Amino acid sequence: MRAGLPSDPVPLRRVNVFVPREVAFDFEKMQTVTKDVLGRLGCGQCHSGRLIDFLIIEDFVVNAKLQVQEIARPGL
Amino acid sequence: MRRLGVGLIYLREVDPLYREGNPDLAVLELEPETFWEKLYPDSSSRTPWFQPNSAAMAQIAALPQTKLVHSVGFPLGGTEPYEADYVTPLIAAVRDLDAVWASAHLSFNQISTADGPQQVGFLLPPRQTRHGVELAVANIARLAGGLNVPLAFETGVNYLRPRPEELSDGEFLGLVAEAADCGILLDLHNLWANERNGRQSVKDVLDELPLERVWEIHLAGGMMLDGYYLDSHSGPIPDEVLGLAADVVPHMPNLGAMNFEVMPAYVQDMGLDGVREQIGRIAEVWRLPRVTRIVAPRATPEAHLGVAADEGDVLAWEQTLGVLAVGHRQAEAKARTATLDDLRDDPAIPLFRRLIGEGRSGQISRALHYTTVAMLACWGPERVHALLDDYSAEVYPDAFAAGEADRFARYVLGRLDRLPSVPYLAEILAFEHALARASLYGEPAVVRWSVDPAELFASLDRGVMPTAMEAHVFEMQISPESSVG
Repeated sequence: MRAGLPSDPVPLRRVNVFVPREVAFDFEKMQTVTKDVLGRLGCGQCHSGRLIDFLIIEDFVVNAKLQVQEIARPGL
Repeated sequence: MRRLGVGLIYLREVDPLYREGNPDLAVLELEPETFWEKLYPDSSSRTPWFQPNSAAMAQIAALPQTKLVHSVGFPLGGTEPYEADYVTPLIAAVRDLDAVWASAHLSFNQISTADGPQQVGFLLPPRQTRHGVELAVANIARLAGGLNVPLAFETGVNYLRPRPEELSDGEFLGLVAEAADCGILLDLHNLWANERNGRQSVKDVLDELPLERVWEIHLAGGMMLDGYYLDSHSGPIPDEVLGLAADVVPHMPNLGAMNFEVMPAYVQDMGLDGVREQIGRIAEVWRLPRVTRIVAPRATPEAHLGVAADEGDVLAWEQTLGVLAVGHRQAEAKARTATLDDLRDDPAIPLFRRLIGEGRSGQISRALHYTTVAMLACWGPERVHALLDDYSAEVYPDAFAAGEADRFARYVLGRLDRLPSVPYLAEILAFEHALARASLYGEPAVVRWSVDPAELFASLDRGVMPTAMEAHVFEMQISPESSVG
């Protein structure tokens, strides 16, 4: 199995991902994941202030965790 | 300089605005490095080259606005030279976009170390002395000689306290512009931030600048952090800054463009309507009547260049400020010079560390997204921040996310057995690290999975680390095109 990856949004060396034919998994998902990872490897914008990219992910994960905990709380 | 009009720094997030026929949006300014990849011939090489995304460049070139090129990765104020590997793609960007002029920052972002040049992850202020002027002039001449268009430097933000042995901000900028015979990209928001943080007032800076050399103005919004007003490009332009623009634009006979800057993460808050509104507000200032020439331009104040400094002083400035700002533990212990040791006491040093650290964390969280989510989900933010802080104190930054990801991944891999357990972390990290290295070095890799990665990533997309997964053992081969037989 082979995925051609990607010409957009980022240039770069073309990278292929191979897995054995007998492996059964969501190949489309892996293709998207791989493309997204490769698409985020470039240079950042000009800035002399605050970059909040990590904080956005942090908030997302913390909020996701809170939601999971709330659902799992017994008696609620 | 040609009168082009009002513009906007190009981002994918604001791309639709260039396509809607807005008569106020006449200029597209591109930061070309954001569409480059950093590549090495192999993992043993220390000399990268930069590969532009030709498809993206062609799409941007086809947009109807007049183009400008604004370099963000390779500033003009430092002693560490950038070579042809950078200049060649910059020239290509100017050519492909048919840019009217190019600009770059009057800052430094690289220092000399025992292990060769290292980046510091921020555009740091240059030494404002006689030799600082001469260095900037030489750098501008070198870059301008390779470009087929005029070159301007940008007036930078400076969070440090003013220093008594240095030239004033306006004097330094004016001397560089006159001696280099180049244009000025006047970032009014930077100057306003400097004034709010205790440096020279915008009015006094403008009084010392040759206004006929101002070709372009940058405008942006900012925010407060740790007692400082930041040039964070985080929202609408403050009314005071637009007021300053309205006061000074009539006195700029050669002003060619006024451009709005906003960071991608803040576009969502503003919305495209909000960005469009800023363009309209700038256009009102742009349309103010202007003088056609300045009758009595300032004489070049050569006498004012008498500030004592030499090349060694500038190198010491860069190395001292660089390692203090990065917070590099080992280098910081060694970086002591009699004249500059008081830099340690400047209250902006902790701010630089925070901003550089957050920038690096952002790069890592983009390039190693699933690794970051897995660590956050299992350890919580405090533990992850501690790891990132330790990493930042030991390893210098890389402006490109692939390079930062490679360094951080190697750092974590060297400590994996000492870190609290995160299920599947070694596999997730191996996968993302392999992609970064394939991109950087063209290096193939084999990633061994014990579970279904698609299922694992789908869970991490929800911010949740799955606790139990069905065994799914296989090998995945990561192959850069050149290594596929």
